[in-house]
Amino acid sequence: MATYLEFIQQNEERDGVRFSWNVWPSSRLEATRMVVPLACLLTPLKERLDLPPVQYEPVLCSRPTCKAVLNPLCQVDYRAKLWACNFCFQRNQFPPAYTGISEVHQPAELMPQFSTIEYVVQRGAQTPLIFLYVVDTCLEEDDLQALKESLQMSLSLLPPDALVGLITFGRMVQVHELSCEGISKSYVFRGTKDLTAKQIQDMLGLTKPAMPMQQARPAQPQEHPFVSGRFLQPVHKIDMNLTDLLGELQRDPWPVTQGKRPLRSTGVALSIAVGLLEGTFPNTGARIMLFTGGPPTQGPGMVVGDELKIPIRSWHDIEKDNARFMKKATKHYEMLANRTAVNGHCIDIYACALDQTGLLEMKCCPNLTGGHMVMGDSFNTSLFKQTFQRIFSKDFNGNFRMAFGATLEVKTSRELKIAGAIGPCVSLNVKGPCVSENELGVGGTSQWKICGLDPTSTLGIYFEVVNQHNTPIPQGGRGAIQFVTQYQHSSTQRRIRVTTIARNWADAQSQLRHIEAAFDQEAAAVLMARLGVFRAESEEGPDVLRWLDRQLIRLCQKFGQYNKEDPASFRLSDSFSLYPQFMFHLRRSPFLQVFNNSPDESSYYRHHFARQDLTQSLIMIQPILYSYSFHGPPEPVLLDSSSILADRILLMDTFFQIVIYLGETIAQWRKAGYQDMPEYENFKHLLQAPLDDAQEILQARFPMPRYINTEHGGSQARFLLSKVNPSQTHNNLYAWGQETGAPILTDDVSLQVFMDHLKKLAVSSAS
Amino acid sequence: MAELYVKPGNKERGWNDPPQFSYGLQTQAGGPKRTPLTRRVAAPQDGSPRVPTSETSPGLPPVRPPLPSSKAPRSPPVRICPASGAESTSFPVIRSEALMEDVLRPLERALEDCRGHTKKQVCDDINRRLALLQEQWAGGKLSMPVKKRMALLVQELSSHQWDAADDIHRSLMVDHVTEVSQWMVGVKRLIAEKRSLFSEEEANEMNSAATAENQTIPGFHQTP
Repeated sequence: MATYLEFIQQNEERDGVRFSWNVWPSSRLEATRMVVPLACLLTPLKERLDLPPVQYEPVLCSRPTCKAVLNPLCQVDYRAKLWACNFCFQRNQFPPAYTGISEVHQPAELMPQFSTIEYVVQRGAQTPLIFLYVVDTCLEEDDLQALKESLQMSLSLLPPDALVGLITFGRMVQVHELSCEGISKSYVFRGTKDLTAKQIQDMLGLTKPAMPMQQARPAQPQEHPFVSGRFLQPVHKIDMNLTDLLGELQRDPWPVTQGKRPLRSTGVALSIAVGLLEGTFPNTGARIMLFTGGPPTQGPGMVVGDELKIPIRSWHDIEKDNARFMKKATKHYEMLANRTAVNGHCIDIYACALDQTGLLEMKCCPNLTGGHMVMGDSFNTSLFKQTFQRIFSKDFNGNFRMAFGATLEVKTSRELKIAGAIGPCVSLNVKGPCVSENELGVGGTSQWKICGLDPTSTLGIYFEVVNQHNTPIPQGGRGAIQFVTQYQHSSTQRRIRVTTIARNWADAQSQLRHIEAAFDQEAAAVLMARLGVFRAESEEGPDVLRWLDRQLIRLCQKFGQYNKEDPASFRLSDSFSLYPQFMFHLRRSPFLQVFNNSPDESSYYRHHFARQDLTQSLIMIQPILYSYSFHGPPEPVLLDSSSILADRILLMDTFFQIVIYLGETIAQWRKAGYQDMPEYENFKHLLQAPLDDAQEILQARFPMPRYINTEHGGSQARFLLSKVNPSQTHNNLYAWGQETGAPILTDDVSLQVFMDHLKKLAVSSAS
Repeated sequence: MAELYVKPGNKERGWNDPPQFSYGLQTQAGGPKRTPLTRRVAAPQDGSPRVPTSETSPGLPPVRPPLPSSKAPRSPPVRICPASGAESTSFPVIRSEALMEDVLRPLERALEDCRGHTKKQVCDDINRRLALLQEQWAGGKLSMPVKKRMALLVQELSSHQWDAADDIHRSLMVDHVTEVSQWMVGVKRLIAEKRSLFSEEEANEMNSAATAENQTIPGFHQTP
């Protein structure tokens, strides 16, 4: 049999899942003793070039409480044309279209290689994608100009039949009528008064008499041409007028006196955007894209007053309960986010400013709806421009890499229950027999809604083994989980992707080695980190760290090999060897440490951590470090101060930053200009190699990271120095024999000290 | 086809702004991707770093030059990579200066073709933008890459390569939005209108061809 590493990789590629455990402990008691919960990272729409969708509907189990989809794990009686559901054991008749079925003539969904399959289902009328731009005009001239150009550019990248709308705001909020002829008109709202959805729709004239209220059905476009047409128009019809309209946008005309912030009505603007789409296109794919250059300063959702002398809240203010507007503003945006999620729309925030813009209060808008959060210094940066372009990037088939209005449903075999999910989703509150009472993340449901997602959007899904200790699972028994994701493809088709997986049960007492060998430490680290970050949103930082530490110690006690009270004897097997260092770096990461970060930055980092796939999440936890030298191709090196050598170039990827660092000698050679001398061409190549590699990362990353090119002694070298394990510090420099690496001026504990303590605690009989 | 270049980010406005990639580099299918740099090394279980060896021993003055190429040990540090086109601009097709007339005439002709098929107001709007293009070109406000790529766009348009023309328009909008945003949307619309006119004519031709027995259509042009 292939190794577990290969097995794990194959499963990730085929099904987009990574489980913390790939052999499952067979009883509730044993499962809790494993410390790391049975959980998986699921990338529902993982890009599969070799998976053309089938053009028919899935066959469902007929038991009303089950409705699982026919899959390769089902038992089939080909003669009687029956199939037995592998989740509830209901026997089902095949539908008439399957009469020709036989052992040699099987539909795709029964073949083992189609454990993941995608169905195209056509129901109801298709509505085009909708993009509603909500644009802050309280920007500097330079920024506004750059933003206008980016928006004009985006009209060339949008699908031609997409509907597009424009709302601008400053002190007032303007909803622009888009028409092909005549003068442009707009509806102006005060930015201080919140309006209900009904009021907004009345004022915009969206309520047509006797409009049928059909809920949960895709909006019929023919119902709307009059009501929504004035504000949302197909790109191919109004691109010329909208280009002019955007080009003519002016900075907010209201005067801003010395010592004041501009009055910015972000809360009302967003509320109107949500209300507009709610009334016109519920349950159809739509993006509200908010572009803002500063904090909301008036009306509902204001984050800070307009007096510049009173700064926007800091972590310190929040701890001291001194953030006046925070709770109220957060409530406002949560209300909007929840309404948007019910409507099936998503909200993106593009915040570009040097100071904070209120992402802390507004974060729920993208977090609950699957929207993007982008943070930059200015709209006139390549960071913003290219990140924005990449929203509209296409896959190999020329389809936009975005999907909308997804519901994810999870079904489990009866030994398992669902504890919750962590990711860009909201609960649909669907109770059922497979829902656990113990919640991890967003629980109490077997279904979640993900309003906006792309091929990398990843959820952590947590389970509970409920099988009792004394009811054994038959030898060779397998547990199964089915993920059913219904969504609107960017081509506006409705699609259903179904992934059905199974793993072996094992008795933890007699087969612990099997369970241990099938541990996926990378997945486990990310899944535990998501739990930690989820807790950090509501608990005090030190509590979360203590919780993480306790879990790590318990895991080491359970799976380490050691003699009691003898730390030196402690060993972890290969499948656990990296786990402690992931936890070490996680403890230092900006996801759990708020020191040196503003509340907005913390929100931004956590937003991305809760939605990226395993590879990217792991880079965020423990950055990647490559070393370049004359001695061969670049090689990965320890994220450790000992890797900082004079004759090396380092390339560090933290996901949010790409850092290139020239060692001392290299920097001096470059200063001396050796790269320009023909006889030192190899040096020129050496300098170029990390630049090329960095470019490759930059070209694929979303959002664009910051790019730092620095050298030994450079002020920006701090980015590297703050991430490496401080194995050499000013405190222990001489103990290490001073010849290698770079000492870090810090009192932080190093991985060595961390490991020493961990071992001591793990082998101690007291703890 | 498209321009392939990387230009530095806006360091004035953005702190550590990343470099900017041209449309061509962002959309190209990637070619042979190198192995992603995602490997990491496990720390030894006691957590202590291995002691790596440094080539230059620390006692020596660091100004000692690097080993020249001829004496370079073993393999060079660079991996074999596809041209990453750093800072270089490639124009494979047209080297000589594109002439304004050569670009504008075909566009104006295309617009004439569309009159009658497309609403007057839209045609007037396109016309206004072509005039703007002419004005900016004549006023010397357009850069060389824009002129050259416009010439290419017109070529594609004339040979009914709608998708190619549309792609050039997109690359111009992404790479040179400041220069082209005001009038390019007219060109974009013109491509779309010409395309729909063409497929309509083609459908008519097909119908008439279908009535005439097994007649082959000379110059039949398949639109994707």
